[in-house]
Amino acid sequence: MSDNVKINVNGLQIESEPNKLLIEACEDSGIHIPRFCWHKRLDPVGMCRMCLVEVETPRGKMLVPSCTTEVSDEMVVDTESEIVKKAQEGVLEFLLINHPLDCPICDKAGECPLQDQTMAYGPGESRFVEEKRHFEKPIPISEIILLDRERCILCARCTRFSDEISGDPLIEFIQRGNKTEVNTFPNEPFKSYFSGNTVQICPVGALTSTSYRFKARPWDLKSTRSTCNGCSMGCSIELNSSQNKMLRILGVDNEHTNQGWLCDRGRYNFEYLNSDQRIKAPLKKTEGNREETTLQDVYSDLSKIIEDRSNKITFLLGSNLTNEEFTSFNEFSNKLGNNDNSIYLNEDILFKGFFDENIENAKIEDLNKSDAIIIWAEDLKETLPVLYLRVRQAVKNGVKLVVFGHTNSTLADISDVYFGGETVSNNFEIVKDISKLKEIKEHIKDKNVTAILGKASPNQSDQSLEKLFSYLKDNSNLKLLNAFNGGNSFGAFQTLGSVKGNREFSSEISKETTDLLFVVGADPVGKSIFSSNIKNIIDEIPTVVALDLFIHETSELADYIVPTSSTLGEKEGTFTNIEFRTSRIDKLIPSPGQALSDWEFISGLSNFCKFEGMSESLKDLNNKSFDSFALDTKPTFDNLDKPRNLDGIINTSVPNINTTDESIEFSDSFYVGKKLYGDKVTERHSKSISLLGSSQFIEGSESTFEKYKLNSGKCILVQENIEITVSYKINPSLPDSLIFFPKNRRNMNKLDFSKNIQILPSHSMEVLNVN
Amino acid sequence: MKETILLTKHMRENPEDSHLIESYEKSNGYTTAKKTLLGSSPEKVLEEIKASNIRGRGGAGFPTGVKWGFLAENEERYLVINADESEPGTFKDRILLERDPHQLIEGIIITCFAANIKNAFIYIRGEYAKPARRVQSAVEQAYQNGYLGKNIFGSEMDLDLVVHLGAGAYICGEETALLNSLEGRRGEPRLKPPYFPAVKGLYMKPTLVNNVETISSVPWIIENTGEEYNKLGVEGSTGTRIFSLSGHVNVPGNYEIEMGSTFGDFVETLGGGIRNNKKVKAYIPGGASAPWFRGDQLNIKMTIDDVANNNSMLGSGAVVMMDQDTNLVNAAKSIVSFFAHESCGQCTPCREGTTWLEMILDRVASGRGRTSDLELLLDICDNISPGLSWPPKMTTICPLGPSAVSPITSLMKDFREEVESMIPTKVLL
Repeated sequence: MSDNVKINVNGLQIESEPNKLLIEACEDSGIHIPRFCWHKRLDPVGMCRMCLVEVETPRGKMLVPSCTTEVSDEMVVDTESEIVKKAQEGVLEFLLINHPLDCPICDKAGECPLQDQTMAYGPGESRFVEEKRHFEKPIPISEIILLDRERCILCARCTRFSDEISGDPLIEFIQRGNKTEVNTFPNEPFKSYFSGNTVQICPVGALTSTSYRFKARPWDLKSTRSTCNGCSMGCSIELNSSQNKMLRILGVDNEHTNQGWLCDRGRYNFEYLNSDQRIKAPLKKTEGNREETTLQDVYSDLSKIIEDRSNKITFLLGSNLTNEEFTSFNEFSNKLGNNDNSIYLNEDILFKGFFDENIENAKIEDLNKSDAIIIWAEDLKETLPVLYLRVRQAVKNGVKLVVFGHTNSTLADISDVYFGGETVSNNFEIVKDISKLKEIKEHIKDKNVTAILGKASPNQSDQSLEKLFSYLKDNSNLKLLNAFNGGNSFGAFQTLGSVKGNREFSSEISKETTDLLFVVGADPVGKSIFSSNIKNIIDEIPTVVALDLFIHETSELADYIVPTSSTLGEKEGTFTNIEFRTSRIDKLIPSPGQALSDWEFISGLSNFCKFEGMSESLKDLNNKSFDSFALDTKPTFDNLDKPRNLDGIINTSVPNINTTDESIEFSDSFYVGKKLYGDKVTERHSKSISLLGSSQFIEGSESTFEKYKLNSGKCILVQENIEITVSYKINPSLPDSLIFFPKNRRNMNKLDFSKNIQILPSHSMEVLNVN
Repeated sequence: MKETILLTKHMRENPEDSHLIESYEKSNGYTTAKKTLLGSSPEKVLEEIKASNIRGRGGAGFPTGVKWGFLAENEERYLVINADESEPGTFKDRILLERDPHQLIEGIIITCFAANIKNAFIYIRGEYAKPARRVQSAVEQAYQNGYLGKNIFGSEMDLDLVVHLGAGAYICGEETALLNSLEGRRGEPRLKPPYFPAVKGLYMKPTLVNNVETISSVPWIIENTGEEYNKLGVEGSTGTRIFSLSGHVNVPGNYEIEMGSTFGDFVETLGGGIRNNKKVKAYIPGGASAPWFRGDQLNIKMTIDDVANNNSMLGSGAVVMMDQDTNLVNAAKSIVSFFAHESCGQCTPCREGTTWLEMILDRVASGRGRTSDLELLLDICDNISPGLSWPPKMTTICPLGPSAVSPITSLMKDFREEVESMIPTKVLL
């Protein structure tokens, strides 16, 4: 504190860290200075001139923008003088003369900084009698974003976000002076994974998203703070609903995780909640027909099966459940007398990872504090988009970046060292002696390194990653993030007695081992690369129960389907992210029909089975989830609800991953991964996302596709009785012969990558043809 | 009064081929640079420049020696010649570029020697196609003759000089906007602080930005010493300056004179008086940005300080005369329209305010004015340039916005009756 500077604002002495911007220093001391262009997370530009204040200088009092002026000791500032007030009133009048004032039909009205500040600082009436500036309004600049240039006040928040934060500057200022407008480039839509952030930070209603447009008024919204469970980043979010319908998700500025930003999948993949395709009542299959039944009936049937079982009862759980639900299944499984080998997580890439007492788990904020970041994992931009933003931020702050091959092509562009095809083979083995790679050595030797390690493709061997890991561990001061990206997978690792993945499920489970299978919030038949194996298993197991939101390729095979609540906004609980930060999942809207939380179902079933000693409430489950955690401050509801813990609590127990070491082998140079937008059942039922994740394609280098004599833009993938017509995209960062398959696009997972896939030229315009 | 010919000497003596290197060499061109590089030191050059007391010819009139002294230490430093001469009424740099480009290049060589700079740029406005062609070929000739490139004149000094054309924006004459444009960005002024070119300029490296005329004066100063230069003109405005005279005069054109005589003397003798023997109603002493003087103020001396003391500026040396028949509302409208058209659009008061002012003046000029418009005009001006003082305070990032205010405040201060007379008496409001 002793290094702080003292400044005088409006006659009050305030203290501030040196070099802080005046607007921030004042804000910290409770003095609000109005602003439009300034945003805490963006570089200041001093453009709107709303934050002008008077500062005493040797040349007398000067009007300066407080968003670009740093505090200095003994500075004397007036934020409320007559000259300041006149300037603010003037700026507001200037902003309003060409503003359409269409507040009655504007989505922003009610939470609009322009509206609010006009009320607080504005002139009250207009002296402008001329004709206003006109633009066509609104124009779509992508499938999900609309731009109204008449409302725009040219604050450059959106353009700066795209340039500085997301690194895809697809919107820019064009023209100049009074004709200046924000727009996209010709034939280049605003196709950014992060475009929704610009809507959120727009200080007027110029940028709107199709999903929220004309749906509600801000003063009608109910809201609560929660955690996004779309990937393992655990971004802090605010849920907004009106009339019991989820209408919007906003990013909350959590310094430790998302800093206010969200990916568009996290922001817009909620529309499925309101879908009329949701299952509303339990369904039972009798002689091939599905019929509605009651929960009592399901409990009664299942309790009999449980009592009469001769084999074990197996669980295949989606990774989007809450910690409390994982605990509930774990407890139930233990009660059934299963050994620890009965719970599987619906993940294709699951391996032991790098967890033990001797490995220091990195925090996300360590990225900024390290000397270098080493990445070898699935494409972060596609699988952990906001972590990708944090890596970009660290690089912008001068942290060195070393990227290992083929998968992280956008990060490769900003990396200091990129190990491509010469170092990393097409089946993801490092083919050189790591200790002799001097490019990496200079960045890590005895330095603070944060590594992000995970399998880049399901066929990557555990050993290849271990080699890199042990080299880093021996040569640097290493902290590590395990790049498992599936929803609450870190919660599963801690709360389940033992975790295995789809690969183990498909090799270990059969009707010989299992009488009853619960598939919970998972669609492995629709999305896993082990699809056909898993389908065969489900077909032969005597009784299969699906707990799910929708009927999809997996749940339609089940004998019983129980409708459940979504983790997004329909239930309470906790979520643990990639850095073992546990934060609140909160409920805002009711579940449709008879849908209930998974833990409520298990609790009901336990009662029916007359099991004793089971947790009886969510609170019990919550407490039990963190029994074995290392630190005293456990992320229980009581602790998380304290104001200081709203951003979550980092606390861990050692994960229990019990996967086998067997490698998967692909028949050719294939790289199988995910794209941000896919074809999952929830995505199919969210209008915005379904528009973005519907195309099917493969990627490869130009020379690779030349070998297949492709030239029409389309090709046909042929394997046994499967034929899929897809487009092919040139990805210059892929080495020769390596072909990328996005497994979360429709039907792509139906291909068996361990067998030969023919790639034939196509001249037809047919997009999809599955036999 | 007579002209004093220093900068325009070579071009006057060789009207046919003054832009060619052979001609310039015949007039002892490049000998000063050669002597300097082989026999002088950067410190000595800087001393001469300081002794000359030359002030920047771009408009702000900042002492050149002091500016050079501010340049921050760094491995990489740049010199950028501001040849984006766009101030309405100004056409002095044009002749220096078009007719004596080698004098400028010689000045650049000496300047870079003094400031230890290895990369220099000449940023020429896009509309100056012919001057740009001449400068480009002059640069090529200078390279061929070994005056640019490696080991100039056999010395240790290396210098690369690049000619870059603007894309038609007045604002790129503002030095930081020029740097943005040179880097390939939108031509928008940077924030000062923190982006003072001498500290964080081109590519965020220390950068000297100087006007064409300033640097073209350097060879004469070094050849004849700063002391000699300092003897010309008057204290505070030493040396000669090329004034661009235009408007309702009989002989408009560029005139190189020592500073210190009166505007009236200048117009009557060199300018040949006002057309048709009319009287001056008002005149602009230093480019479109400068507040106007009245016709009865022709006895003001043409020095930086005298003009400043009368609340205007000598600026870029553009003197524009308006005779007794001039419709000053139209004159003001035409200047304000220019600034509205040239506003970069970055900051609110300038982007919105200049266009609004233009719209109101247009209404008044076309007989649709309202009585409330006079106060409105002044209040909008006040919101761009609080207090309407000179030099202007500003709510904007750069002085372009306040420049549009100058003609309106002049109009309202000295010619209010003329504006009022244009407003219909019965206006329903």
